[in-house]
Amino acid sequence: MRLLHAVLRTIRNSRRLATGLAILAAMILVALFSPLIIKLIGGGTNPIEVAAYEKWLVPSADHLLGTDQFGRDVFAMVISALSVSLQIGAIAGVISTVVGVIVAFVSGYKGGWIDGVLSTFTGVLLVIPTFPLLVALSAYAKNVTLFQVGVMISIFAWPFAAKTIRSQVLSLRSRPYVDLARVTKARDMEIIVTELLPNLLPFIGVGFASSALGAIFGLVGLEVIGLGPGGVIDLGHIIFNAINTGALTLGAWPMFVVPIVLLTALFAALNMVNIGLEEVYNPRLRGVAGE
Amino acid sequence: MTAEAPPVVTVDKSQASAPPTGVRAWLSRHPLAAYAIRRFGLYLVELWGALTITFFFFRLMPGDPVRTLIQTLQQNYIYNAEASAELIARYRTEFGLDGNLFSQYIKYMEKLFLHGDMGPSLINYPTPAQTVILRALPWTIALLGISAVLAWILGVIIGAIAGWRRGKLGSRITTNLAIALAHVPYFFVALILVYVFAYTLGMLPARSAYDSSITPGITPEFIGSVLKYGLLPGLSIVVIGTFGWILSTRMLMVPILGEDYLVYAEAKGLKGSRILTRYALRNCYLPQITAFGISLGFIFNGNVLVEQLFNYPGLGTTLVTAIQQLDFNTILGVTNIAIFSVLTAVLLLDLLLPLLDPRVKYWK
Repeated sequence: MRLLHAVLRTIRNSRRLATGLAILAAMILVALFSPLIIKLIGGGTNPIEVAAYEKWLVPSADHLLGTDQFGRDVFAMVISALSVSLQIGAIAGVISTVVGVIVAFVSGYKGGWIDGVLSTFTGVLLVIPTFPLLVALSAYAKNVTLFQVGVMISIFAWPFAAKTIRSQVLSLRSRPYVDLARVTKARDMEIIVTELLPNLLPFIGVGFASSALGAIFGLVGLEVIGLGPGGVIDLGHIIFNAINTGALTLGAWPMFVVPIVLLTALFAALNMVNIGLEEVYNPRLRGVAGE
Repeated sequence: MTAEAPPVVTVDKSQASAPPTGVRAWLSRHPLAAYAIRRFGLYLVELWGALTITFFFFRLMPGDPVRTLIQTLQQNYIYNAEASAELIARYRTEFGLDGNLFSQYIKYMEKLFLHGDMGPSLINYPTPAQTVILRALPWTIALLGISAVLAWILGVIIGAIAGWRRGKLGSRITTNLAIALAHVPYFFVALILVYVFAYTLGMLPARSAYDSSITPGITPEFIGSVLKYGLLPGLSIVVIGTFGWILSTRMLMVPILGEDYLVYAEAKGLKGSRILTRYALRNCYLPQITAFGISLGFIFNGNVLVEQLFNYPGLGTTLVTAIQQLDFNTILGVTNIAIFSVLTAVLLLDLLLPLLDPRVKYWK
């Protein structure tokens, strides 16, 4: 209950955070109800089946975004792809955040040479271009499940979370209440769970949002160059289809503009959550909220 | 693979506690040189670590490049003979795939560092991978380098002004736009630009890097053609990049605005524009120089997709072609060149920073 109150107060304090969360919530709702929405669009038949309708229909009341080269309803495809993109973000975001939190705590709390090794490693992974590695990895990932794709992408998304959280662990480690806990002979694990974790929650949120953003970004990147894992149809895959089937020359703009707008809104929402959380919890930026 | 950092840390400690003898005394008298040496050591460790990780990453993945090569040869040259064991063994040696993993690694590193040799490529078979890569490199450096620097300059200037005039309508619109667009892939903008300017309006070319009817050379026509073909891919990187820098510069600018020295400058009666350029801006562009280096890898990632969309003859397109044909040597080569360029750029910027920023002191 107290936690819920705190969360609500935070949201009320930052319009940016509230907007970001509202957009995310709307998208998650659509994703949750996507099977139902797709059924409604189909009206008895499956609208994303090959040759469900005529090919290349222009947008109309029956087909809000028209149909593609196989006669599938583009609107229904976009809805189901949005749900896939969100799931990838959630899976990879959770895995990356867990790995990031563990690395950040070991590194920030222990300090010394362990910190040296871990933070150098994290730093190098953030600086070097990792996209070629992700692309190469995906070249071998044919017929994988959504979860496996999430794991694969997490390999490159966790440093985003680790970096954000480590810097906060460093600043919290030397706070008086942590010293007090240490003086009373609390074990490391106890201090981490009872003293540090609760205070880090907002920054874990930031870590999650940036990792999820990085993960969705990564999968879209793979998909638009046609190297996405087989069987996973996310928004990037629809864009790839659009380019490859000549939607550009045919003027079938809804096929690529709508996924782009949705993904842009998703990235914007995640970024608003990030910046909103930082503005509320980072005292140095507090005056910054501006608005 | 993470055993690289300890030496750096120990060097640090020994400097602090060592008695002033010989080299150490000299280093303590020349803190900047000590910093440069330590930074260079870290660079070597990072470079070695990153190259090692990528090598094993690619070698430990399933898939047999030699079998792929033979398949490709069979397809391309109607090589009907079944590949003999002898032939396979010869190709294994040629591609550096004989012996155990560790000896392969030693051999690869030796060839790479001593001879600059990355082994034969597959996409362009007997041509060595480094030749394929060197042909693509100038295009990427020009496209990405110019757009990235331009985005940085624009972003820092606009971001500083947005922070300076915070609360004003224009600043608020810019900031919110930047928050919405800073993390969008360049590729999205590129796709919209291509659709509008190339396909719908037919004003600009959608593919390639120059008009193929013009012979390459330092002629006005060729340069004009390169600029015209580079406009759309470059613009997509500049637009999104600028928004990213606006956001981070504004974040640096706003906390500075409450500082006493700005109040004092105002009390002295200095003009607003002078305070902005001479006092406030200097404090936020310096950290952004470091940030520029760190962001290069990310920019390269985004650039791969843009190049692929425009079929631009740079590293990104080479990489995608190589991956489609499972050309290990070229993939590894492109990755290594990108890693080397980014780490070197970060090193140079870090070494440059103490010269630009009088406050940076490295002898603590």
